[in-house]
Amino acid sequence: MMELKYPEILKLNRELRNNLKSSSYSITVLSNIIVQQIKEILEYLLRDGAINANIEFGDYDNIVQDSQKYKDANAVIIFWELCNILDGLQYKVELINNDQLDEILEKTKSEIDLVLKNLEKTSLVLINKFTSIPFSYSNIRKNHLDELANQLNHYMEEKIPSNVRLVDIEKAIASVGISSSLDLRYYYSSKALYRVDFFKAYAEYVKPFIISANGKAKKALIFDCDNTLWKGILGEDGFENIEMSSRTKDGTIFAEIQAMALALNKQGILIGLCSKNNPGDVDEVIKSHPDMQLSDNHITINKSNWSDKVTNLKEIAQELNIGLDSLVFVDDSSFEVNLIKGRLPEITVLQVPEKLYMYPKMLREKMGLFYNLSFTAEDRKKIEMYKHQVKREIVKKEFIDIEDYLASLELKITIFKDDESIIPRMSQLSQKTNQFNLTTKRYTEGDIQNFINHPDSDVYALSVSDKFGDSGVTGLCIITSNGSNKIVEIDTLLISCRVIGRNVEYVFINYIIEKIKEKKIIDLKAKYIKTQKNEHANYFFDRCLFNLIDGDDLVRNYTLSVNTYNPEKLDYIKVINED
Amino acid sequence: MKTNISDRIKNVMSAVFGISNEEISDESSPDTIESWDSLKHMNLVVSLEEEFNVEFTDDNIIELINMKLIMAVLLEKLPSNRS
Repeated sequence: MMELKYPEILKLNRELRNNLKSSSYSITVLSNIIVQQIKEILEYLLRDGAINANIEFGDYDNIVQDSQKYKDANAVIIFWELCNILDGLQYKVELINNDQLDEILEKTKSEIDLVLKNLEKTSLVLINKFTSIPFSYSNIRKNHLDELANQLNHYMEEKIPSNVRLVDIEKAIASVGISSSLDLRYYYSSKALYRVDFFKAYAEYVKPFIISANGKAKKALIFDCDNTLWKGILGEDGFENIEMSSRTKDGTIFAEIQAMALALNKQGILIGLCSKNNPGDVDEVIKSHPDMQLSDNHITINKSNWSDKVTNLKEIAQELNIGLDSLVFVDDSSFEVNLIKGRLPEITVLQVPEKLYMYPKMLREKMGLFYNLSFTAEDRKKIEMYKHQVKREIVKKEFIDIEDYLASLELKITIFKDDESIIPRMSQLSQKTNQFNLTTKRYTEGDIQNFINHPDSDVYALSVSDKFGDSGVTGLCIITSNGSNKIVEIDTLLISCRVIGRNVEYVFINYIIEKIKEKKIIDLKAKYIKTQKNEHANYFFDRCLFNLIDGDDLVRNYTLSVNTYNPEKLDYIKVINED
Repeated sequence: MKTNISDRIKNVMSAVFGISNEEISDESSPDTIESWDSLKHMNLVVSLEEEFNVEFTDDNIIELINMKLIMAVLLEKLPSNRS
């Protein structure tokens, strides 16, 4: 986007506004300086990523009061400009005494407290860190402005709740430079400090937070092999001559790429291969090449063969049970890159730059694609899980009757109720689960905490294990009530795609209905809200014999008389460790 | 050269104010374009700067209040050998 001129962005954003059909994602920007130009730039960037963002602004320099007024926005972004927490602070600050400095510090801290309190239930709050850089970058000595910024940032870091993320605005400033970031002309006349170039960099920088909150973070990174993971062509240059070690000029580039892939893998991102090679040759490199950092333990799926890459990538998505739009594919060949871009536009395709030394920088700048608001133990476990998944697919082919197959898995499920220790994971499930998700409501950790705290709502989570491994927490159901002691509603019901196809969803709902029955509830209401991806969950309530009340293609409402519910027993799934 | 610049100014104004090029004339000003407020003016200035790769002074900024004046200020700024 950096290459687009501002009037072009205005025009493109207007077109997207008229064409995007998806529901609106509201963002309110609160600020004590004029930052109106962020609106069209960030809206455009998000809409270009299929998030129909609508940005509005609080009143100028009214952050505290407006944090109350706009708390229901999907996201709130706060530009709290240090040099304007007091008019002209950037020059006054050096002349004031320590008592006055403390006074400013304490006042701002208490304002921060109020804002955090007002926004405690907002799904996502992004607060820029305080920065002294615009006015102190040329100072050799640390000055009062630096000191203030440090103390306020330290204060915020100590106490931010789970729905808040601090934005390192200095990184956005650094990426375009001080003079391209600041517009002093407008600062003195209109209290607008930043230039369009800065807002472009800033928008790129905050995009991953919002992408992740919308459940659109990428899940897998798939590499071609030759000249993508190593220098050279395995089939031509041979095992001995491909380079990927820091001992050679080009090899060191690929050593860095592999290390970056390893680091992503540690955070739960799946790594795969899709390469035109003899399968045995690639296996040999993975197993025994001394410089290969990625091993079988890290590579979840390996499609090294002579089929076309469109077919292979489709199979990769299918076997990992994730959407094509969850994949990022890296290749060096323009032919393959354009083929995939044309045929599978959902996939994000990256091309190894012609200037090889730019390759690690390019990949580093794309890391935001994989950013996850919450990073949990399950992410690490997930790698294991997907490996088991691939194994299961193979076993599955040997069974003719699916029930026999399921019985052979020795499935066990564990159900957790209102368990605070797994809040990050439950929030993440709501943000990332697309396929078996009846209502697709996205919740932050703060939201889940609220459901747990609320006496009328119950939060159930599910973990599944079988003889191949433990899936970790992979299902979520939130039951809410509007205060009636006769009627409750299924607000959320989802099962991660990792455990889809094992009928655990039926055992899960049976268990929950049993619990509802025990509470003497009479009616259970439920809803299916259609999205582009949750066809898998369509008719789930019909299959459970809920009564359809009304609805259309997009939303259907159901109800169930709890006492008449008589589910089919699925004896091959054991429910253990109930609480 | 003038016509070319005039078209480019119109394109910028059309993008900033969300109106069609036909609605913009030499006389267009905050009085005739409803959405031309102080914030949109800032957008206009920045857009013209990006489009023509120039930088206006703070004095220029307050002069840019109709199509004719924009043209005059720009012609002053642009090197004469530009097309």
